[in-house]
Amino acid sequence: MGGAGRRVVSTTTSSLLAERRIPGWLGSLTSTDHKRIGVNLGILSLFFFLVGGVFALLMRAQLAAPNGHLVSDNTYSELFTMHGSTMIYLFVTPMAIAMAMYLVPLQIGAVGIAGPRLALTGFWIWLTGGVIMQSGWLTGDGPGRDGWFSYVPLSDSSNTPGVGQDMWVVGVILAATGLLVMAACVAATIARHRAPGMSLLRMPVFTWTAFVTVLMTVGSFPVLIFVMVLLYLQRQGANIFIGFNGAIDYQDLFWFFGHPVVYVMFFPYLGAAAEAIAVNAHKRWFGYIAFVASMMAFSALSMSVWAHHMFTTGGVTNAYFAFTSTALVVPAGIEYFDMIATLIGGAIVLRASMLFALTFFLQFLIGGLSGIFVASPVLDYHANDSYFVIAHFHYTLFAGSVFGFFAGVFHWFPKVTGARLRESLGKLQLGLLVIGTNMTFFPMFILGQEGMPRRISRYPTHPGWATLNRIETAGAVIIALAIAVFLVNLWVSLRRREAAGEDPWLGHTLEWATSSPPPVHNFDRPLPPITSYAPLLDRREAAEAQVSRP
Amino acid sequence: MKGGAIPLLVWGAFLAVLGGLNWIWTGDAIQVGTFGFAILVVIVGAGALVLLSRDALGRGAPEPRSDPEAVPDVSVGAVLAGLSVGSILFGLVFGTFFVYFGAGMLLASLGRLAFEVRSQRRSERSVEEVQP
Repeated sequence: MGGAGRRVVSTTTSSLLAERRIPGWLGSLTSTDHKRIGVNLGILSLFFFLVGGVFALLMRAQLAAPNGHLVSDNTYSELFTMHGSTMIYLFVTPMAIAMAMYLVPLQIGAVGIAGPRLALTGFWIWLTGGVIMQSGWLTGDGPGRDGWFSYVPLSDSSNTPGVGQDMWVVGVILAATGLLVMAACVAATIARHRAPGMSLLRMPVFTWTAFVTVLMTVGSFPVLIFVMVLLYLQRQGANIFIGFNGAIDYQDLFWFFGHPVVYVMFFPYLGAAAEAIAVNAHKRWFGYIAFVASMMAFSALSMSVWAHHMFTTGGVTNAYFAFTSTALVVPAGIEYFDMIATLIGGAIVLRASMLFALTFFLQFLIGGLSGIFVASPVLDYHANDSYFVIAHFHYTLFAGSVFGFFAGVFHWFPKVTGARLRESLGKLQLGLLVIGTNMTFFPMFILGQEGMPRRISRYPTHPGWATLNRIETAGAVIIALAIAVFLVNLWVSLRRREAAGEDPWLGHTLEWATSSPPPVHNFDRPLPPITSYAPLLDRREAAEAQVSRP
Repeated sequence: MKGGAIPLLVWGAFLAVLGGLNWIWTGDAIQVGTFGFAILVVIVGAGALVLLSRDALGRGAPEPRSDPEAVPDVSVGAVLAGLSVGSILFGLVFGTFFVYFGAGMLLASLGRLAFEVRSQRRSERSVEEVQP
């Protein structure tokens, strides 16, 4: 009997002759354990993060001075395309799914993921997509070079000939399909595999953020796959997106995926930051019901704002999308209100996870507030395709994911590995990351306001531009240093392990009620009674009340 | 799985309201179509959950279950299936050899998956027979 209350039958069919587990790395790569799939997906996503980071550093090196000649115009186009594509399709989105894959079954008291074989298939489809996309570098024409959204007619075969762009299209199709499959498995797990007592309104905050994330994924990713298939056919000679209307139709279809994915890359990290804040403040997350309602509204609203990317095309009804885009501040405001109210009166411990979580909210605020500017069509006409937009979306996508991701890493690393990360190195990493992030992305607001267009491989000598670009390049190097500190921390913490125990932070949710790392079927002993979203906190409070009773 | 379909229906309702506004405000066929698609996916998902169990619309927490749950540990078939899909699509760009290779691997993976599922069911049955 598993701790989740059901008899668990382990079935291993690694060999036709003998039922044995497959040992070593091969066993890891064929494992249907959601934790193994989550860790493998996370490690490979992190690898792609480093790859995408190298592309960013090369771009920043090119732009460090006016009229840079480190790389050619064509190579620069390849770099920004593969930087964006790698970060979005191969790092931030899959890392969000990896966290959900690992944590959701544990948080809801399930023994595994729904459709484990399907989830494993999804992982391999995603991985082949990533490999094919990056393999474009090995072709004579180079990889994709039309940006991560590859607008037509720029991306059709007459304007972008070569097999590298085809590989990019196929890579995106595969990566999106793999992520879609894994997201569907997470959604089915939440719907069908909650432990006895775990009602919908007792699901942890992170699980709710993961749930709306996977809903958005299953609602929007099929449209990306569809539009990429159409683009592939267009590149093979089919006339699908023709003229102005064709270009607008492509953008309409692409951004129906392209904007929801921004929130797919945000919500799970918000959930991770929220969990870290509540646990490190030793309080329940304030306004749980309001938070859940706002997540539902937030995610649905974020499915309806996509054409604000097309304000300046003249092909969409700007008023509707300005309305929905501006309306996003309401649920976003609720998240911030909840975060502040959770902190008030809390017994706050400023661990690295807490500091990353607080910084996540502060840094994302800059992206959110600048988003209000570009949600206005009138202002967007000025900012469109300038560095202002680059600054805005890096504060949302980079700050709005990476800081939350590291909050989650420092929070759950002991659960995943059984060892703690070094706090001092974590705080050093945070300091470097804050400095690097703001040095890199804040000057972009000024450059954008002054009219520096995005995606140019070199810029003329212009008063102030060289200095600001140099600051940005220095900032990018500092970000790289911060990531290097993180890698050192990983290495040190895993080599000289400081045992974490099963609940080092006095956690609130069920993943802390099992060993670190958890056993194959997650729980070896009965789960505590589930009467709220924080069953472990309930148990501690009940024990304290018992002790303090006269 | 009490209530598993409810959040899908609530979310679908949110989308329907926003999609309705979009229809009234813009009347754009592609936008209404994509909105409609997302709503359809959510409703089909909720419908599938209800078909699996009427409990999906129930209120409250899931009840304890006594039937055994089979959890596979490894799946070579799933890995081969994933790689075969990749190979087939890669073959579209790089030549039909990879399409045929992928198709062959897909067939092998489906066979392997059938074997794995049969083994899983056998394990479930054997546990039920020993501990009914």
